[in-house]
Amino acid sequence: MGAMSVTALDEVPDKELLARHAEGEPHAFAELVRRHRDRMWAVAVRTLGDPEEAADALQDACLSAFRAAGRFRGDAAVTTWLHRIVVNACLDRIRRRSVRPATPMGDDATFDAVAPKLPDPTDAHGVSLDVQEALATLPFEQRAALVLVDMMGYSVDDAAAILEVPPGTIKSRCARGRARLLPLLHHHRNRRDPRNVGGVEGGGVPT
Amino acid sequence: MNPAHLDYDTLADLAEGLLDDDRAASVDEHLAACAECRDRSAELADVSRILAAAPVPALPPDLTARIDSALAAESRAEPPGVTDLNRRRARRNPWRALSAAAAAIVVLGGGGLVGRAVLDGADDGKHLTASVPPQPMTDPRHPRVQSFGAGWRVVHSGTAYRAATLDRQVTGQLSRVAAAAAIPDARTSDCVAGVAQGRAPALVDVATYDGRPATIIAVRGADGRPDVWVVGPGCSSRNPDVLAHSG
Repeated sequence: MGAMSVTALDEVPDKELLARHAEGEPHAFAELVRRHRDRMWAVAVRTLGDPEEAADALQDACLSAFRAAGRFRGDAAVTTWLHRIVVNACLDRIRRRSVRPATPMGDDATFDAVAPKLPDPTDAHGVSLDVQEALATLPFEQRAALVLVDMMGYSVDDAAAILEVPPGTIKSRCARGRARLLPLLHHHRNRRDPRNVGGVEGGGVPT
Repeated sequence: MNPAHLDYDTLADLAEGLLDDDRAASVDEHLAACAECRDRSAELADVSRILAAAPVPALPPDLTARIDSALAAESRAEPPGVTDLNRRRARRNPWRALSAAAAAIVVLGGGGLVGRAVLDGADDGKHLTASVPPQPMTDPRHPRVQSFGAGWRVVHSGTAYRAATLDRQVTGQLSRVAAAAAIPDARTSDCVAGVAQGRAPALVDVATYDGRPATIIAVRGADGRPDVWVVGPGCSSRNPDVLAHSG
């Protein structure tokens, strides 16, 4: 009964959880969310930058997935499908934000609240804020590709499956995104001596 | 030898293998001769490293609860596209499976063969006997359930009952905890009231009997053995439409 089936759900593969949910099993979907919410959150907060918006997007995504479970096609991994739903929920949030009137400026409190804090390159929080600000300058497609590949560690093929574009498109979006980010993140390299690494991580450097 | 330095786009494309062979060869040639561009190339690799190392803000502690309650509210709403009434009910109300189990235990409390069958079939009774008190016959979140007053639930086990094996199949069903049990609709309530004469059924299973749609109703008999009726889809208290009866 109750306790028994919850224990058993731990062992159930993602696809079967989704199928059981579609058949009306009440705890199956909650288990799926419990299993993957940390990574879904990471995708949302890195794609949107703002934790509050990311929280809304993650909730949107969970509800969308809950409703769409019956339409899941078994040929993709459930995580791929879930991540796609999260990315789409983020895109929806951004679209909604862009039609919303901007916050009126001019009062000091508002100005202080949105003023960038002085970046401290040795501070992890500072790096995080800088990275977030730099990512925010990218077009959505490039940002989503870099979040998945460079930040989340997904392969190009996995990212291609999540975003439903060819792998070459992912590579190109990542390349363009990195090139754009470089000037913005340059100061975070200063902990190492650039002269020492010239030939080591250059990639295409012939000997 | 350095007519122009390589731009970041070109270097990033090279790293991803996106340049055609001729272009890649000329870029490699330039890199071999130009320390500054090698440096730029290393800077690009560092972008990925910085991105990978950036800490993720923690999942807000209240967000988990918020999402759980949004999902719970969603599961109580009518899910679109689901037509099966029992599926809808089961999804809306996860308490019903528990109530069905509790109903089985109430029957068990009276002793007799059905009670023992419930016990014997369920992992030596460990899970059934220990944890669930026999009280929660009604759903604490849906007071309207109380108006049914029946305390028993309908299952759709999918069992193809046969005349020759009816008793064994019923015993098997009784030993199982129904995953999705539904509150009976008015017609089923009326039918069961007529057949069981006011006694609480231990099993009401909408299934098939010898290939025909039928509802199997089992009641604990006076001698402890289950009374089993097989009724047709037209069953009501006035006309039970009994296809078979054993016990």
